[in-house]
Amino acid sequence: MADSKITSKEAIMLIVTIFVSHTIVTLPENLLSNTKSATLINLIYLGIIVSLLAYVIYRLLKNFASLDIIDISEYLGGKVLKNIIGGIFIAYFIVTSSNLLREFCEGLRVAFFPMTDILSILIPFVIMLFVTNYLSFSSNVKAVSLIFPLVIASIIFLFFGNFKNFSFERMFPILGKGFTDTFITGLGNIFAFSGISCLYFIPPYLKDPSKMKQISLTSVVIGLLYFLFCTATVLLLFSFFVDVDEVLPLFSAASYIEFGVFFQRLESFFMLVWILEIGAYLMITNRFSISIFQKMTSIKYQRPLSMIFPLLVLGIALLPKNYSVIRFLETNIYAYFIIAIVFVLGISILVLANLKKKKERKV
Amino acid sequence: MRHLLKVLCFAIILIILTVSFSSSFTRVNLDNIAVVVAIGMDKADNNNLKVCFQFTNPSSISESGAFETSDSVLKTVTAPSISSAINLMNSYLGKELTLAHCKLLVFSEELAKSGIGNSIYTLMNDAQVRPSCNIVISKTSAEYYIDNSEPDLEPLLSKYYELFISSNQFTGYTANATLGKFFDNMICQSCDPYAILGDSENIGLAVFREGVLVGELNATETLAFTCIDNHLKGFLVSVPNPQVENQNIDIYLTPKRNTKIDISFVNGSPYIKIDCRYSGQIYSMTNDSNYLDPDILEQISDACNRYLRSVFTDYLYKISKEYKSDINSLGKTSLKLFPTIEQYEDYGWREHFQDSFFDVNIETNVKSSSLLSDS
Repeated sequence: MADSKITSKEAIMLIVTIFVSHTIVTLPENLLSNTKSATLINLIYLGIIVSLLAYVIYRLLKNFASLDIIDISEYLGGKVLKNIIGGIFIAYFIVTSSNLLREFCEGLRVAFFPMTDILSILIPFVIMLFVTNYLSFSSNVKAVSLIFPLVIASIIFLFFGNFKNFSFERMFPILGKGFTDTFITGLGNIFAFSGISCLYFIPPYLKDPSKMKQISLTSVVIGLLYFLFCTATVLLLFSFFVDVDEVLPLFSAASYIEFGVFFQRLESFFMLVWILEIGAYLMITNRFSISIFQKMTSIKYQRPLSMIFPLLVLGIALLPKNYSVIRFLETNIYAYFIIAIVFVLGISILVLANLKKKKERKV
Repeated sequence: MRHLLKVLCFAIILIILTVSFSSSFTRVNLDNIAVVVAIGMDKADNNNLKVCFQFTNPSSISESGAFETSDSVLKTVTAPSISSAINLMNSYLGKELTLAHCKLLVFSEELAKSGIGNSIYTLMNDAQVRPSCNIVISKTSAEYYIDNSEPDLEPLLSKYYELFISSNQFTGYTANATLGKFFDNMICQSCDPYAILGDSENIGLAVFREGVLVGELNATETLAFTCIDNHLKGFLVSVPNPQVENQNIDIYLTPKRNTKIDISFVNGSPYIKIDCRYSGQIYSMTNDSNYLDPDILEQISDACNRYLRSVFTDYLYKISKEYKSDINSLGKTSLKLFPTIEQYEDYGWREHFQDSFFDVNIETNVKSSSLLSDS
C-alpha cells in the first residue's frame, strides 16, 4: 500500500480524468439534447450543486478518516452490505467503462479503421489494462498525471482553434427548452459529474487525507470548466435545433480547425490524445473495481485479478449488437443508473453511516 | 525464462495487431487509392445522378517527387446516388476512391434547383470528406465546369481549388462557401445555405432555401452579403463623384468594426437595423483632384454612404422578399429576443423573414487618397 499513496494533485487529476473521459464520446451531445441552448447555464447551475454535494461528501467522509465507501458500508451493515455495495460499484465501473470503450472504439472505427473488426480495436485497450493492472496504483496515477495536461490542453486548443467559427448567438434562447427543463428536469444532467464517485474510493490512497476538501472542490471546479469548454465548442459550432447525431462530436469539431493551408487535419492529433485519455479512464476504473473486489473477497494480492477485469470489460463492451443499442443505453439507461448509484446510493450510505456513528458516540 | 515469456507475449500481440489492422492500412495504401480532388454532380435521366470525379494524375509527379503540372483525370459515371457512384467508380478504376483530399464539390444549377439536401447529408456522413471542401453551383454542367477549371498561375490543381476563392477577402465578389457551413445552415432554423456561383469566372453566390436553389446574387449583391456577414478585410467600390457629373471615383473601404445587427419586432414583423462603419482610401486620381480639402472628403464619404446604403438595402429586400432566404443568418440575432426555443419555433423565423423591413445605416470616413493627395 505504501507505493499506492498519491498526492493531492495526482488525486485531482485522477478525478478530473473520470469527468473528462465521457466528453470525448457523446456526453456534450447528450447534455445539449436535454437542455439545448441553456446547457451552459445548466452546467454552471449543476456545477454549484455538485460543488455542494462534493463538500457534503467530504464532510461525511471526514468522520471515517482513511476509509472508503466499501469499508464504511461494512461498518454500517456488516459484510452483507459491504458485498452488496461493492457489487453495485463494481457493476457501475465495469458497465460504464465498457460502454464508453465500445462507443469510443465505434467512433475510432468510423474515422480511422473502417475495415477493421471492432474486436481488434477493443483488444489493444484490453492489453493495455493487462499491463497497467500489473503495475502499482501510484504508477498508474503517474501515467494519468502525464496524460491529464495533454487532454486539458487539447480541449482548450479545440475551443480557441474553432473560435473564428463560433456563432455566439447560439447561446440563445437563454432558457433553452424553458425554466423547468433547465433548472428542474435539467438536474438530470448531473450524471455528467459521475467522476465524483472517485471521492468515495480515494481516501485510502491519499498521502495527506486532510486535503480531501481541497481535492473535492478543486476537481469539481476543473471538471466544470472542462465541461463548459467542450459543451461551448459543440454548442457554438453546430446547429442543434434539428438533432443530427454525431458519433464523436468533438472529433467533428476538431476537423474544422485549420490554420491557413499548412496546419490542417489536426483531428488525428486530438484523437491520439483522446485515446490516451480513454486508456487512463479505463485504467482508473479497473483499479477501483479490482480494489473493491479485493476488499469483498479479502484476497491478499490484486495481480491474479489483473486479467479478469479487463476481460470482463471486453465481454460487456461486445454485448451491444450495434451502435444504436449503445446510444440507447447511454441516453436512456446509464444516466439514471449513474444518478442512482453515485448521487443517491453513495450519499445515502455515508449519511446513514454518520448517523450510526453519532448514535454510537451518544451511547 | 520469464524474460523469454515476455518477449513471446509481445511478439504474439504484435502479430495479432498487425494482422487485425492491416486491412484498414491496405485500404489507404497509396497503391490502392485514387485521390479525388473534385466531384461534380449533374442531373441524369430516371432520377439518376451523373457524377464526375477529378483525380490527380500520378504521372504528373516527377521522379524527384515534385509536381510538375496540374494534369488531372476526369471520369464520369451515372448512378442513383453519390455513394453508388463512388462504388461504381471503385469498380471501374480497380482502386478505392479517397475523398480525403477532395477540395471542391460542384453541383449543376439544374440539380441544385431540384434540391441537393440529400447529397449534402450523404457527403457529411462520409468520414473522409472534409467540412472545408468548397461548394460551387455551376451555371453550366458540373462536368463541363470541372473539365474547364484550368489554373493558369497555380501548378497544383488541389491547391488551386483550395485557394481560388481566397481573393474574396479583398474583393467581396464571392464568399467562402464550405460543405460544413452549408450543412450547418441547412439544418439551422434561423439561417439558409449559400454556395459559390460558378461560371466562366467564380463571381456571385447561389442562394438556397432548405437545400433548394432559389436564386443567385451578382457581384454587387455578393459584396453586400460579404460586408454584412463580416467576411471582408476590404473592398473597392466605384461611387458617383460628387464633384464631377457622370464620373465615378474608386475608393477602397476597410471595415472599422464588425457589422452591428439589431432586430426588433413591429406588429410581428422583423425590423432589422444594420449598422456598418468603414474607413476609405481614394484610389482614383485625376489632374484636378484635391483630396486635402476636408469638405471634399466629407462629400465623398456621403456619396459612399448613399451608394452602399442603396446597394445593401436592395440586396436585403431581394433575399427576403424575392428569395425568402436568410443567407446572412440574421435570424440568429433574433434568438436572444425569445426566452425559450418553443417560443422561437412558434414564431417561425423562416416564415416571417419575408416580412422583414430593413434600416441600413452606413458611416464611411474617407480619410485620404493614396500616395498623391493633391494635383
